[in-house]
Amino acid sequence: MNPVVKWGLISVGVLLVAAYAGLSVMAGGPKDALFMLRYALPHMHRGALKVGDDAPDAVLVDLDGASRFHIRERTGARPLVLVFGSFT
Amino acid sequence: MQLYDDYKDHVDFLTIYIREAHPQDEWQMKSNLKDKDDVCYTQPKNLEQRVAIANDFTKRFKFSVPFGIDQMGNAANDAYAAWPERLYVIDETGHISYKGGNGPFKYDPKEVRAWLAQRYGEVKHPEAAATSAEKKS
Repeated sequence: MNPVVKWGLISVGVLLVAAYAGLSVMAGGPKDALFMLRYALPHMHRGALKVGDDAPDAVLVDLDGASRFHIRERTGARPLVLVFGSFT
Repeated sequence: MQLYDDYKDHVDFLTIYIREAHPQDEWQMKSNLKDKDDVCYTQPKNLEQRVAIANDFTKRFKFSVPFGIDQMGNAANDAYAAWPERLYVIDETGHISYKGGNGPFKYDPKEVRAWLAQRYGEVKHPEAAATSAEKKS
């Protein structure tokens, strides 16, 4: 094998191992790092919204499970703080 | 939620409940286990399940902040790139005035408090300051 290719592959391997080790520290363990890669990273996005953009609308469901309302129905008279999250 | 109590006379709040961050059938956190915080739910497969978990949450914490649940298409989550948690402030003209970082590491309610304080003044808590001073001494 060409030495350049060989050392290139070794370098990439070392970088990948280092990256996985760093992710494991961040996630709380090697198993958590795998879960983070599989379940978290595909859903985490910086998003395209910027300060100054029009706030997007969406239809939400009330706690009764039946009533619906728009996010934009709550905007207008006063500023609106949006708190996104879940229980787990 | 202290921030809500402090500024609800000036601004509106809306909690938007999105897809679970650490359900049992995905990446469950050790702190969620039954013998710790006991927050054990699978990722909801339909709206009824998501609504049920949201209700468990509000009942358990006696959560009084106005609440809305993202439908199973995750439109709100996708529009705001919210997962797993994020804060925004929309001003009176309907524009984004503050966009917070993604949780958990960049989610910082203090930034929203600073935004609100700049506009409406700081809300101090003498009892919290006294407790903090006692701990330091």
